[in-house]
Amino acid sequence: MSAHVVSMRDALYEAPGPKMRRRIRVVTIFALALIAIGIALVVRQFHITGQLDPRYWTLFTRTTTWAFLAQGFLGTFRVAFTAGAIALVLGLVLMLGRISEAAWLSTVSRLVIDFFRGVPSLLLIYFFYLVIPKYGIKMPSFWMITLPVALAASGVLAEVFRAGVNAVPKGQSEAALSLGMSDSKIMFKIVFPQALRIVIPSLVSQLVVVVKDTTVAYVVSYPDLMQNARVLISNYDALVSMYFVVAIIYIIVNFAINQFSIYLAHRRGTKIISRNDENPV
Amino acid sequence: MSDAIIQMNHVDKHYGALHVLKDINLEVARGEVVVLIGPSGSGKSTLCRTINRLETIDAGEILFEGTPLPQEGKDLAAVRAEIGMVFQSFNLFAHKTILDNVTMGPIEVLGTPKAKAREEAMELLRRVGVDSQAEKVPAQLSGGQQQRVAIARSLAMNPKVMLFDEPTSALDPEMINEVLDVMVELAQQGMTMVVVTHEMNFARRVANRVVFMADGAIVEEAAPDEFFDHPKSDRARDFLNSIMGH
Repeated sequence: MSAHVVSMRDALYEAPGPKMRRRIRVVTIFALALIAIGIALVVRQFHITGQLDPRYWTLFTRTTTWAFLAQGFLGTFRVAFTAGAIALVLGLVLMLGRISEAAWLSTVSRLVIDFFRGVPSLLLIYFFYLVIPKYGIKMPSFWMITLPVALAASGVLAEVFRAGVNAVPKGQSEAALSLGMSDSKIMFKIVFPQALRIVIPSLVSQLVVVVKDTTVAYVVSYPDLMQNARVLISNYDALVSMYFVVAIIYIIVNFAINQFSIYLAHRRGTKIISRNDENPV
Repeated sequence: MSDAIIQMNHVDKHYGALHVLKDINLEVARGEVVVLIGPSGSGKSTLCRTINRLETIDAGEILFEGTPLPQEGKDLAAVRAEIGMVFQSFNLFAHKTILDNVTMGPIEVLGTPKAKAREEAMELLRRVGVDSQAEKVPAQLSGGQQQRVAIARSLAMNPKVMLFDEPTSALDPEMINEVLDVMVELAQQGMTMVVVTHEMNFARRVANRVVFMADGAIVEEAAPDEFFDHPKSDRARDFLNSIMGH
């Protein structure tokens, strides 16, 4: 199976010849050297400015530090998960409205989508944090961060879904029509399941954006990973080391999301795309 | 001609400035096999697709069993359910197994219980010779196999008419016959068929009537032997000469 997987690079470029291979080797060595020098410079600067001093790092030996970070991580997870779920559902609804044959519904949906896509999520957060309470609506800080992040993502997801629906060959719905299936059954049984497989990569990048958007939670003082890190920083005066560790945590989380998407794409996508599983090597 | 299952009266259709169907009058009787032939761009596929309203028409009327085709909604879907269609590019549901492709219509449209639908689907797949592939997905099958599944999928609805829109045009040469064989068998069993094709031997052998189209109009209609041996119009003669040249 894996022998048949064609990467984008294989599809776009021809196989390198001997000269090209030599050049690739030289450039690779050069690039590795540059990266090594870069890292060395950073470490040196850290050393000069005293950032490597143990007092900035010993806090990571305490369980309380990690417990507090874990608490923040849980907050981030709750916000991202809830916002992601809301955005998926709302994005689907907006997309269905957008492709509706009723002109008014399509126009309204497009306006809503463009609004949520166009407005920075921070602005939406300010709206929920500063404007809505003025009208006497009390909202826990959890929703003040979750709703705007969800709304901002829903606009993008609606467009991602729509791109997927448009990418499903017209023959699929024509075949379903010719069987006498209703429009809604065609959408939910034939078109959307295929559209979903097509857009999984874009969907996942958008979920990564959701995770990153949650970091503005400090605006509404919701205890997410970023907010808790800020508390620890002011307690221990360990700015660089703390942000360094937190950055790594975010990278790991988003890397995990990406890996999950690759797993999903392989589990469900290759079934349709690959014609080669019939004759394994 | 009270036995006509499909009647097209003065049907016209335009794509912008292009007049793709010009005053089409055609009747298909129950049990009849009508083959539409003609040069590419002559409107034969479009004609075929108007019969289940995958293409709308601008003027004229199309009757199915004596009733005008509904324009939309449940009524139209109900008529479509009685008209099978096989496409040039198969159009099997790419995310469903072969078996699910065939049971989709009966389960979702006719409300057939799952177990019964599966049983009937397996029987149909056996009939077209792809029952051993039932659990695979369409991309794992050859073109000829996929097209046979597509025929089984249509048959699962127990259609009164089958439309074939160039069913072998996308196939590798060695796979054409396996699909034609299934179609011949269907015709022999008395299925009413409208077939758009370039397979002249099939037309000669199976058709009750050949309809020759050019530039959006029906130029000539005749029994196959009559048409192939003594074409009346210059257009038909030219067309036959150009494809029979070798």
